[in-house]
Amino acid sequence: MNEIRRWVVPLGWLALLLATTFGMGQLEGLFRWIEADSRQVIYARADFVTLLGRHLLVVSVAAVLAIMLGVGAAIAATRDWGRDFLPLVSQLASIGQTFPPVAVLALAVPVLGFGTLPIIVALLLYGLLPIVRNTLAGLEGIDPGVMEAARGMGMSGGQILRQVELPLAAPVILAGIRTSVTINIATAAIGATVGASNLGDPIISGIVNGNTAYVVQGALLIGLLAISVDSLFSRLPLAGSR
Amino acid sequence: MRPEGRGPNVVLLSLTLVALAAWLGLDSVSVAANRIVSGTGYRVDEVIGAGGALATSLPWLALAGLAWQPARRHLLLALALVVLMLSALPGWLALSAVFLVDGAQARLGIGAGIWVVLFLLLLVMIELRSRLALTRLLGWALLLPPVLSMGFCLARWLEPLALWQEYRGRSGQFLGAVGEHLLLVGVAVGTSLVLGVLLALAMRRWPGVQKMGFGVLNFLQTIPSIALFGLLLAPLAWLSANVDWLSALGVSGIGWAPALLALVGYSLLPMVRNTFVALEAVDPGVIDAARGMGMSRSQVFRQVRLPLALPVILEGIRITTVQAIGLTAVAALIGAGGLGTFIFQGLGQAAMDMVLLGALPILLLALLVDALLGALTDILRPGGAE
Amino acid sequence: MIELIHVTKRFGAAVAVDDISLSVARGELCVLVGTSGCGKSTTLRMINRLIEHSEGEIHIDDQQIRAFREETLRRRMGYAIQSTGLFPHWTVARNIGLVPRLLKWPTARIQARVEELMALLGLSMEEFSGKYPHQLSGGQAQRVGVARALAADPDILLMDEPFGALDPITRESLQDELCELQSRLHKTIVFVTHDMDEALRLADHLVVMHQGRIVQQGRPLELLREPADGFVESLLGGEDRGLKEAALLPVSQRMLPLGPRLLARERIGQHASLREALSVMLWRHAERLTVVDDDDMPVGELSLRRLVGARSDE
Repeated sequence: MNEIRRWVVPLGWLALLLATTFGMGQLEGLFRWIEADSRQVIYARADFVTLLGRHLLVVSVAAVLAIMLGVGAAIAATRDWGRDFLPLVSQLASIGQTFPPVAVLALAVPVLGFGTLPIIVALLLYGLLPIVRNTLAGLEGIDPGVMEAARGMGMSGGQILRQVELPLAAPVILAGIRTSVTINIATAAIGATVGASNLGDPIISGIVNGNTAYVVQGALLIGLLAISVDSLFSRLPLAGSR
Repeated sequence: MRPEGRGPNVVLLSLTLVALAAWLGLDSVSVAANRIVSGTGYRVDEVIGAGGALATSLPWLALAGLAWQPARRHLLLALALVVLMLSALPGWLALSAVFLVDGAQARLGIGAGIWVVLFLLLLVMIELRSRLALTRLLGWALLLPPVLSMGFCLARWLEPLALWQEYRGRSGQFLGAVGEHLLLVGVAVGTSLVLGVLLALAMRRWPGVQKMGFGVLNFLQTIPSIALFGLLLAPLAWLSANVDWLSALGVSGIGWAPALLALVGYSLLPMVRNTFVALEAVDPGVIDAARGMGMSRSQVFRQVRLPLALPVILEGIRITTVQAIGLTAVAALIGAGGLGTFIFQGLGQAAMDMVLLGALPILLLALLVDALLGALTDILRPGGAE
Repeated sequence: MIELIHVTKRFGAAVAVDDISLSVARGELCVLVGTSGCGKSTTLRMINRLIEHSEGEIHIDDQQIRAFREETLRRRMGYAIQSTGLFPHWTVARNIGLVPRLLKWPTARIQARVEELMALLGLSMEEFSGKYPHQLSGGQAQRVGVARALAADPDILLMDEPFGALDPITRESLQDELCELQSRLHKTIVFVTHDMDEALRLADHLVVMHQGRIVQQGRPLELLREPADGFVESLLGGEDRGLKEAALLPVSQRMLPLGPRLLARERIGQHASLREALSVMLWRHAERLTVVDDDDMPVGELSLRRLVGARSDE
């Protein structure tokens, strides 16, 4: 029963997101009121379901890659054989935090061309850093006594990583992934300026054509998506934090 | 960590070898007939022949050799070598220009190889700086020779460099954009600092404000930045049409007004959060002692709580400023000016050099501000106390 | 002189301190002891109004504490706490000079006072005055904390488990130093601790608290001999009470004048405690000790029988 109740809020947001996506047309009256002067008030160049799908796809691909790379790099840098790389990796993570996503995106375009690829790369780079930083913090923050005990009990390096380090660091790592994904859901919208088609499209088109209704539609869906995902994350069972 | 001088420095060695591979394997420069067409890439050996390419790999091998036996003396030598190599990169560009570029319209582009090598060399410098425990200031001073060399080469031989041509074509506009960018960031951060501190103080006094304040600010952050800029278009346009003194001030649906509003809105959350957390996190024992000694409330705040919270508040200012530098770039979409203008114009015209002209300075600005405010935080942390 | 008259403190519905009355005479070291949550810290903090009492009256030198401004009241009292509460952004010297500065003493006087206090607490001026708190060991930091509490030469000193976080050896040496300081300065001290050995060692006046009430108060020996109830008895160490009592009594109290017998080989100083004497006997397998004065001259003797003897002998 409690298990079900826990998921009520995120599922509620998700339902609201889907309802808005499919039923945007029904809200025409509302948007007519916002944007009384325009002939057309519902963004029609692509349907919202497709845009939402592409948006999700781009963010998920970037997130999966960022998690694999980021967690992998942080684990490698905290093993005995990789510890030499630790200062560099952590400095890189903190420097990378200062790179503005627009600049990263803009720099990716000359190399990768227009379309979906540069936005995935930009999101990957931008999303990598919170994950690396948090994984490092989580792994380095484990009570040395616990590690000492694990070694003393005769656990192998792999066993310590899987049974002790990762479970203990999981809440911090998950928090990093959560930050990374929520930021990227919003950042992905900028991709519309380099020709990636996603929920940023209505926004850009609204700005260009002076149609606030379009902007609201894009912003509404991105906001709902961000809130749904964020609330899903907040309900994930975090080993060790209970 | 291995003791110095025993076994190779793996980090240095791998960075060097990867950089060498990038240097030889990736396109080093590109040449385009004019501004719009995409260029043809050239590897190092295609510029100066296989023998020349082999010769250019010598310093890399020397670097790898020094990394193999990382005694302090060797690492210092390696650092000198890296500074030298960084300073030589503009020279390499000049050489390529002489070999490859002919025709007044033709432009020399910087290829992926050079960008990767530049990035990796900077990583090598970071690694060496931390191994040799050099001060932050010295680290920055070491970047001076490469920068001077770049300036010198630009003035003498690098006229065909695409980025340089792009700059010279609109140098006045560029400097204006930098000014606008800095002004927007400065005003936005300044405003949000004042508002943020006031809000944080109010939150400490009234828990109700705290709950509501964080709720609203968190909500603001979920709206994508470009959407927030867009959403402000209509209300501000309406305001400027209906309120005379606002339109007299220059407020309108596009331009600086919505940009500034959105920037302040975004900046408030990190500012308030850091200020609030910083003030709350001061050790209760210290506050207890301060009050027990007979300090008045305002003395406790001014002499104890505020100075102890200052480093974390500065951290908030740093995060906010760096974030605002990036967001201001997006504000160009609604006509706020700034360096973002070049990015979006460049994307619109498919003129990649123009995109670079906007994106690179933004990146540099962000790094510079980050470093400066970081140094300031260090200075204001008395006695190195946490 | 500090007087608490029927003082009660409520936090909402919970009663933290329940109708306690207590009087600390001038120059007396009063120790409040009890388990955690018994209200001893709350009691201490009500005296300098860090916590306002709900009912009853608290007097300092026959004046209601509410007659003073809070800050004025606190500047009249020294305050030292377990976490030291040293300001991490100030040097040792500046920390010590805090209250004099609040009282707007002239700079030269503050400087002189800081030097005096550092000397008093055995902190070398040139080594420590410029250091920051995080550069100090626990014992040094606590010394600075005590120096800071003494800075404006207050009559009253409030100490909340000041030695609680220190290792046993440092703690004991600081306890000795506090006794020594007190014998010279004669402050009125209220000292909170949960450590009964510390309490017995320091107290002129021992107050045992439990669940917000004072269960017993008096001189340490009185409590040891006649604990009011099982709680006080167990707090005082149950079966160990004999040793704790012996630790409070000097050898000179039980020794007999030198008799016609040969001097015993093992010796003990006349200021040592009976507990130490017993330990020497156990260790040396000796039933008699020769008691000597500070110049190592025999002044009496102590036998095992006398040591464990009936109380009427005193």
